[in-house]
Amino acid sequence: MYQNKSNRLQTFCLLLFCFAIVTKGTAQTVRLSGSVISTGHKPLEGAIVTLYPCNASTTTDHGGNFFFNQIPKDTKFLTVHFYGYAYYEVQISLNKKEMVLAAIVLHPEIKELQEVIITDSYETHRKKETSLSIETVSSSFIQRNLGGSLMQSLQRIPGVKTISIGSGGSKPLIRGLSFNQVIVVENGIKHEGQQWGADHGLEIDQYAVNRVEIIKGPSSFIYGSDAIGGAVNIKPVPFPVKNTFGGSADFSGKSNNAQFGGSVNLFGRKEKWFFDTRLTAMDYGDYRVPTDTVQVYNYAVPLYKNHLRNTAGRELDWHGSGGYSSEKFKSVLYISNIYSKSGFFANAHGLEPRNVDTELHDKSSRDILMPFQEVTHTKISTTTSFQLGAHQLETQMGFQKNFRREYSHYVNHGYMPPVYPEGMYAPQDLERQYDKEVFSVAIKDEFSIQNHHLTVGLNGEQQQNEINGWSFLIPAFKQTNAGLFVYDKMQLSDQWLLHGAVRMDYGRIEMKQYTDWFPSEKTINELTTAEHLKRSSALTRTFKSFNWSTGVNYTPGQWSLKANLGTSFRMPIAKELASNGVNYHYFRFEKGNPDLAAERSYQLDLGMEWKSNKWSVQLSPFFNYFPNYIYLNPTSLHDIYYGAGNQVFEYEQSKVMRYGGELQVRYHFTPLFTGEILAEYLYSEQLSGSKKGYTLPFSPPASILFGLNYTPEIKNLSGTYFSIDYRYTAAQNQIVPPEKKTASSSVFNLAFGTKVKAGQQDFILSFQIQNLFNTKYLNHTSFYRLIELPEASRNIILSVKIPFLLLK
Amino acid sequence: MNTLTCPTTRILVFFCTIAFAFTSCDSDKNEIDTEYPVVDTSAANAFPIQCSQVTRGQKIIFRAKFTDNTELGSYSLDIHHNFDHHTHSTEVNNCATEPVKKPVNPLLYINSVTIPVGQKSYEASQEILIPTDVDPGDYHFMIRLTDKEGWQTIKGLSIKVL
Repeated sequence: MYQNKSNRLQTFCLLLFCFAIVTKGTAQTVRLSGSVISTGHKPLEGAIVTLYPCNASTTTDHGGNFFFNQIPKDTKFLTVHFYGYAYYEVQISLNKKEMVLAAIVLHPEIKELQEVIITDSYETHRKKETSLSIETVSSSFIQRNLGGSLMQSLQRIPGVKTISIGSGGSKPLIRGLSFNQVIVVENGIKHEGQQWGADHGLEIDQYAVNRVEIIKGPSSFIYGSDAIGGAVNIKPVPFPVKNTFGGSADFSGKSNNAQFGGSVNLFGRKEKWFFDTRLTAMDYGDYRVPTDTVQVYNYAVPLYKNHLRNTAGRELDWHGSGGYSSEKFKSVLYISNIYSKSGFFANAHGLEPRNVDTELHDKSSRDILMPFQEVTHTKISTTTSFQLGAHQLETQMGFQKNFRREYSHYVNHGYMPPVYPEGMYAPQDLERQYDKEVFSVAIKDEFSIQNHHLTVGLNGEQQQNEINGWSFLIPAFKQTNAGLFVYDKMQLSDQWLLHGAVRMDYGRIEMKQYTDWFPSEKTINELTTAEHLKRSSALTRTFKSFNWSTGVNYTPGQWSLKANLGTSFRMPIAKELASNGVNYHYFRFEKGNPDLAAERSYQLDLGMEWKSNKWSVQLSPFFNYFPNYIYLNPTSLHDIYYGAGNQVFEYEQSKVMRYGGELQVRYHFTPLFTGEILAEYLYSEQLSGSKKGYTLPFSPPASILFGLNYTPEIKNLSGTYFSIDYRYTAAQNQIVPPEKKTASSSVFNLAFGTKVKAGQQDFILSFQIQNLFNTKYLNHTSFYRLIELPEASRNIILSVKIPFLLLK
Repeated sequence: MNTLTCPTTRILVFFCTIAFAFTSCDSDKNEIDTEYPVVDTSAANAFPIQCSQVTRGQKIIFRAKFTDNTELGSYSLDIHHNFDHHTHSTEVNNCATEPVKKPVNPLLYINSVTIPVGQKSYEASQEILIPTDVDPGDYHFMIRLTDKEGWQTIKGLSIKVL
């Protein structure tokens, strides 16, 4: 143990020191300055200006100005990248000691066409103006790293992992926190699904994602309860440019699960009115793993042709939005419907590992048999923003419905009747049903007083949850939340930015009573009676919380330093307060605790970034303390009624300490050849309670990714890249029951992509081989880790994006 | 211009100090338990074992030896029908099964016993009455053993009620 700890320390410090590298200076230097403006002569702040071949880059300031202090005399050309604008490139020759360039005018781009050339300008800008640890990626990053679901595509970002459920579903795991501790926001509205379940994926269409912002750390002061571990903010798609009509078509295929899918987008805009639509469809078969036998606890399950039995699925999504946009008034209505149906690994679902009809299951790898889940998520929201004097106001209204059903053959356990009774309230195969309806409203006002930029916001949410099915885990409930916040961003100077925020929250949860539909035999003093057991009592809890956050950004020259200290909170959810039933995925009995307090967290985040012409180094350590982390504790007890002898897991609260960080190092060997190191480390420990000394479940092990990226200039092609990623994931020996230690792993991924122009038509191709060497390894944070299921075998992914413009 | 200057070094030192502060704030503590308890049914008097047969109306005595490296928690026994062949046991050898059939009045037995505190080894013995009116056929006998920390070992045996 002690040995372990000192190793940990060494690793941590090694990571810290490995960027303390000195690069050599250049002899002949010139000073260069200029400015970047839009076609409307507005200065553009945050545009990335890069010089070649030395690869020095900088971002423009408030006035759109940039300057390079000492650049090599052999500098040949200059490029400008800015999100939402066309890429700009110009040849320069430096013959004087000091040069001032004429203003560079950037033209707005048609949204879909410019995506591929977005660089990190927006990202850099966001990083410099927030004191939280933040990462932003665009749709081109997603296409390049396309996984089975949105979160799987984002896994390359250090500190971001997923809890994956088969090949088509996953939920975010940010610095080891997930479920209701991480909030997902889409088009400004908090996504409300059934995020408490490990087997429940995120109902988001990854093709519809244009830009994602990930806050790695507590952000309750912006988003309220549930953002205690972090936030995944899926930004709205930018409005189309005036007088355009266009779209794009995406096609993708994957070898591992024989997936094919695609998405078609159409958008258009006259002067002020616009629309944007999308249709996505996907179909995949059982996915394959590099093993022929899986150990489901102690039960050996043979697999047919390496297929993970019954993990096929399909998805059908549609989106539509329309609105009005003028200089002073913008309003847009979004409607979307995400539907998915996918199977669960048939042998590992139920009250115990099960024997299944292998002949039936193995006949086809594309059919979806029992057990399976079917989810429909409908979302309607509207966002309106307008100016009122010096105030920039934004209002939002939303409605969501998450309708989730889990089907499985009726399995009687405990004292349930052996044969499913006639005339039951639920169909025989409907194991569970959750029906959630959420209404939300928000209003936000942004204004400036001198050098203070203030944001005041108020939001409210009301949700209603109904249940159905023959099994029971959580009761039906109603929930109301409201929050009020003030956020002040204070620009002290060009280099110093201060942040301060306070937030007040109120939450109320009202749970309904639930009584078993069958009688159980109860023996007290040797007298046996049959009784309908009450699984959940009517219970109402209210929570109030006050949170604050304060931070600073300091950006001297090549450095960008930040620090943030704040509190965050989370209201306990219905599952934590009132669950009382069997979790069929993990063969365990889960019991809520009605006395739980709201979870609270204190976190210190630091960030440092250093950029020179060849180097870019970013380090983001954090320290986090929870006085009352809500934890599902495995007890030594067994439930002898509905749980049929299964182990009881009960919610408890304990003190938890967590720390860790991420390191990102980029080095340009030449302008075309880049090396990258992405590392992450996390340590968590329970400081009190019955699992004192243990870690938290789903703790991602340390990992380091080495990437090489080559972007050659090839005739008739643009944006070409070849890349190889090698990820080493350390062993995870910090475990808590019922987890198992996970060995280290080495996985290679290859990627290649380019843009081909055929006549006037662009084709954006990307090609990936994941798990190149078909390595058999376990992922500590996989939903199926407990049953020793290795990760997917080699997967070849091909995707093509065809943007088109019908009218300009 | 890219040479690390004095402020740069200071910033590095600052971050390393913080990193050290993070990593060194653990206190000394005892090693945590990561071992599973053990269900041993290899003794001569252990009952039932894989493919054991019991007769209706008979009183059987469940016997097994439980051990753990630190402290045992509790065990549960669950007998349920396997008329639909839904389960397979944790044992290597399979027992001959009867054809699939529909349950009418299957035997159901669920019980849990808390092992006295402080035990690393425990000889379990539990009397179970097999009622005369239950359906004969293939059954599953589940033994679930936990230790105090919540590690659980499952043993699933196939038995036959005659």
